[in-house]
Amino acid sequence: MSSATTARSTQVTVELRVNGRTYPVRLDSTTTLLDALRDELHLTGTKKGCDQGACGACTVLRDGKRIVSCLALAAQCDGSEITTIEGLAEDGHPHPMQEAFVRHDALQCGYCTTGQVMSAVALLREGRTGSDDEIREFMSGNLCRCAAYPNIVAAIREVADS
Amino acid sequence: MTDIEYVRAADQGSALALVAEDPDAVFLAGGTTELDLALKDQVVHPSRFVDIGRLPLRGVTRDGDRLRVAALTTMEELAADPTVRERLPFVREALLLGASTQLRNMATIGGNLLQRTRCRYFRDPDVGACNKRDPGSGCAAIEGVARMHAILGAGPSCIALHASDLCVPLVAMDAEVELLDADGTRTVPLTEFYRTPGDRPDVENVLRHGELVTHVQVPLLPDGARSGYLKVRDRTSYEFATTSAGAAVTVEDGTITWAKLGLGGVGTMPWRAWEAESVLVGAPASERTFRAAAEAAIRDPFTVPGTAFKVELAKRTIVRILRTVTS
Amino acid sequence: MTATLAKENVIGRPIDRIDGRRKVAGAAPYPSDFDLPGQVHAALVSSTIAAGRITRIDRSKAEAAPGVLRVLTYDNAPTLTDPPQNALGSTMRRPLRDDRILHYGQHIGIVVANTRAQAVAAARLVEIEYAEEEPVLDIDDPRAAVEDNPFGMASSRGDVPAALAAADVTVDGTYTIGAEANSPMGLFTTVASWQGGRLVVHDTTQAPSFLRVALAVMFEVPEENVRVLIPFLGGGFGAGLRLWSHTVLTTLAARVLDRPVKLVLSRPQMFHSVGHRAASRQRVQLGADRDGRLTAIDHDAIAANGLGDHLPSPIVAVTPSTYACDNVATHERRAHLNIPFTGFMRAPGAIEAHFALESALDELADQTGVDPVELRLRNYAEVHPVSGKPWSSKALRDCLEVGSERFGWPGRDPAPRSTHDGDQLVGQGMASATFEFYALPCTVRLVVDRRGNATVRTAGTDIGTGTYTITAQLTAELLGIDVDQVRVVIGDTDQPPAPQSGGSGLAGALGAAIQDAASELADQLARLDGHPGESFASLLDRHGLDELEVTGYSDLAGAATHADVAPAGAFAAAFAEVGVDEDLGLIRVRRLVSVIDGGRVFNAKTARSQAIGGAVMGIGMAMLEELAYDPNTGRVANGTFGDYLVPVNRDVPDLDITFVGEPDTFNPTGSKGLGEIGIVSIAPAIANAVYHATGRRIRDLPITLDKML
Repeated sequence: MSSATTARSTQVTVELRVNGRTYPVRLDSTTTLLDALRDELHLTGTKKGCDQGACGACTVLRDGKRIVSCLALAAQCDGSEITTIEGLAEDGHPHPMQEAFVRHDALQCGYCTTGQVMSAVALLREGRTGSDDEIREFMSGNLCRCAAYPNIVAAIREVADS
Repeated sequence: MTDIEYVRAADQGSALALVAEDPDAVFLAGGTTELDLALKDQVVHPSRFVDIGRLPLRGVTRDGDRLRVAALTTMEELAADPTVRERLPFVREALLLGASTQLRNMATIGGNLLQRTRCRYFRDPDVGACNKRDPGSGCAAIEGVARMHAILGAGPSCIALHASDLCVPLVAMDAEVELLDADGTRTVPLTEFYRTPGDRPDVENVLRHGELVTHVQVPLLPDGARSGYLKVRDRTSYEFATTSAGAAVTVEDGTITWAKLGLGGVGTMPWRAWEAESVLVGAPASERTFRAAAEAAIRDPFTVPGTAFKVELAKRTIVRILRTVTS
Repeated sequence: MTATLAKENVIGRPIDRIDGRRKVAGAAPYPSDFDLPGQVHAALVSSTIAAGRITRIDRSKAEAAPGVLRVLTYDNAPTLTDPPQNALGSTMRRPLRDDRILHYGQHIGIVVANTRAQAVAAARLVEIEYAEEEPVLDIDDPRAAVEDNPFGMASSRGDVPAALAAADVTVDGTYTIGAEANSPMGLFTTVASWQGGRLVVHDTTQAPSFLRVALAVMFEVPEENVRVLIPFLGGGFGAGLRLWSHTVLTTLAARVLDRPVKLVLSRPQMFHSVGHRAASRQRVQLGADRDGRLTAIDHDAIAANGLGDHLPSPIVAVTPSTYACDNVATHERRAHLNIPFTGFMRAPGAIEAHFALESALDELADQTGVDPVELRLRNYAEVHPVSGKPWSSKALRDCLEVGSERFGWPGRDPAPRSTHDGDQLVGQGMASATFEFYALPCTVRLVVDRRGNATVRTAGTDIGTGTYTITAQLTAELLGIDVDQVRVVIGDTDQPPAPQSGGSGLAGALGAAIQDAASELADQLARLDGHPGESFASLLDRHGLDELEVTGYSDLAGAATHADVAPAGAFAAAFAEVGVDEDLGLIRVRRLVSVIDGGRVFNAKTARSQAIGGAVMGIGMAMLEELAYDPNTGRVANGTFGDYLVPVNRDVPDLDITFVGEPDTFNPTGSKGLGEIGIVSIAPAIANAVYHATGRRIRDLPITLDKML
């Protein structure tokens, strides 16, 4: 992309690749990934809890790594592979982590839950399930005011051990 | 709407030009500080984000007894680096005690150095008096709720804290910052990179407009040295430091022969405890020495009622980390 | 599936919550997930002073901004009717009523634009000038208007001054608790739409039936023309129990524009807009004999309240019911301050009272040398201390004994500073809790169809406690069908009215109403001449009916007034072990045992989750949470999730949760409500453990590290 001659525009065209689908969207340049997912793609499973990177409710995977989607511009994610909660199921079957969350009652109001699940799925890939304390530490970026924390740890433990 | 232009830089040269040509343009790397301030709190008002996220400024290389970290390396990537694990363990500790995994996957090392204060008076545009945002307007934090604020480098104009964990071991290890602009590169020691607020709290470092942090060089710990990072906070995880200390020492026959000490949670900038190091080197590794070093480190603090407790807490934090790394 | 009804052992089973799959899939719709055709977006204009008057408003720049459709402030907005007092006794100062500013962050305008970003940007362009006054922010400020005995909770039995004077041992402690923010994860949202004369509003409320009444009154429409929808809430912990101004303003904007309007509060706005647990100060004086038997309790409480606000949330209400003591006096005051309106937060009042009382009891145990568990047993209220009636159920003794055993309390060295572990001093503390009975009337509609399926409908909602699930379980058991044959339709005021999800009262009231409906259904079935063992399908088929519909009703509070027992709330005991790193002031809870008598437990799995949630919020209260007001401006100075700290996963120690007791004899379903009891004894147990660890009695919550240095 070029320099001084670029006409000033506060709109961007972005190709968002989400859950294996490509969505070309035209957005305000400052639209966050979170708002693009919810407002443009109508993928409302990703939640807004603080909009400032302090709660983890909006956690998604970008190129396989967990991020908070409220602090990334959609434009920054052009071309990246985004996975949201809606993309976890395979062939209509919930992800084992989703099943384990239900079984262990690792949720109450459910608002933070999708972010917790995305974080937990990433945690497995990161190999940070060696002990309950390790799970607790590396799940601490996801607030849950209902405090399903012990059940979240139990759900992750079960999936990690299986 | 925030009316900010977004441009993704194709290469380093165009990135520099795109920022240089517009005094209100900024580089956008991980975004975890910049987007928060510009879009959410709306206390900074850039005209243009120049996204440098895809530039090839990523990765860690070893050059003899130094580590060269490209500025767009993420916190998680640096923490996972094998050399960091083995030869700079307190850098790894500081990284993993900072933020959350999600943020560490986004935040870059360059961005970490340049992160802005967490002062809620700075970060709320409805607060009128903030010398950092609006030079000359005053400081509402000094008479306000000041707990997560600085006691070193602070003064009547500003008590805003530099909240980085990573920078504590980096400043202790004499890390250097490589800067690039159209005129070329220069290398600045991290200890000389930051400025105390003085009467210009808005000027936080020596970076010039359009200048890009490209790399950070960190000397590795010498053989036989031990290091540790202690972060003190109420919440067990995911909280900025109330106080912290990063120490690296070599002890021979009970005598400290080499010592580096950085402090967090107390300074308007990542704090190098030079005076404490002078006390330590050549002294026996004893409680008395540690306490003397702590007293030397926290000399002439500037406190307000909410931060007064940090004077003693910071000293105890120093004593504890020194005890840990020498035991 | 039998006409004789009742299927054993569905109630109580730890089945997975029936809405769990939708929640983990991201398919459960919260208010912020609703978007309506033609919808536009609102943003709030909030005051940046805490006290004074608006002297000038200039809307012109905002009105001229891109996409802006309307800017409403007090001087151009239609006048609304004042809202009624709701069933919890709270009223609300109508927003945009006049030029007065009562607190920082007060909503003084609403901007509507085509997009959210446009609305937020334009809200900053509304120019406001103020005549500022110095705000009154502290309950000790002599300028504060202090209301004495605002809720009629001052009480006295016996002769407290004489008993205190004659006591062998006395304790006199003053206990303070910082303001706390409920901080549910879900951002409070209103999506309001007027369809002709009918209002449909998606709103983050725990009290849909109250909200419906309030909006009907304020907007002068019949109640049946207001529909409140809240199938999933995103947490509340009491924050959703009041009518809040953002809901009214969004509804007003929708009416003015005749378009659906959506407003989502920002997290910082949440801290100023949806209530909080008021800061409080209490003085407790105990008198006792040498053996620790209480001879006098004097309990005085003062708490903050918003200026111009009335919120019946007494602290001392529970005190007379806690212990067998002949001389008990309570006093209560409210200081009206320029702070954002307070609200209800999990176990309001009871939790404050218990922190003070249970800390004071620990001080008494220390002074008399009586073990803290034994001290509570010696003062055990075998009958209700006020009415003298037998409790409808009370297993607090079991809570204490089972908790003591599970924790390993016996043999604890009572001496403070007696246990070390590395850099830590280790301490153990305990506290007990008495919660009061509470219920409001509830109505349900129950329909069974030819396939043997049942549908239960009520306006009440599920805030995450498991209302969907226990409703299905109760219905399944009472009708003798499977849980998956029950459809639960809640969170919709087109359904029969229900109490709020709050006060630990919904499960009991709803359960009793379902039981009433099931009983009515059994009567109808009997009239239809059902054979023993005959299925609904067969019965309905024989009579050519598609379905049967019945209504069930409960009014437990009404029944309580002439009961020959004292209807009990839940009881609990908590035992905490803390490690204190004295040098650094760090306190970590190492383990926590919580034993609860909640009567009959409807679902052992969701009940346990409730208890965990209470325990962890209690840890936050004890060690982390405090809303900080800027002393000059009254602005919440830590109003973000990075600054106002709620517990994270790593803060949670090993938790041991046990339920004890029997089905309650007053409530027909045997339940006593579980939403709050789990938090009540946590903070005092932790504070008492900190004392045992260090010998330092901290009477001021939260116990942050600076207080330990």
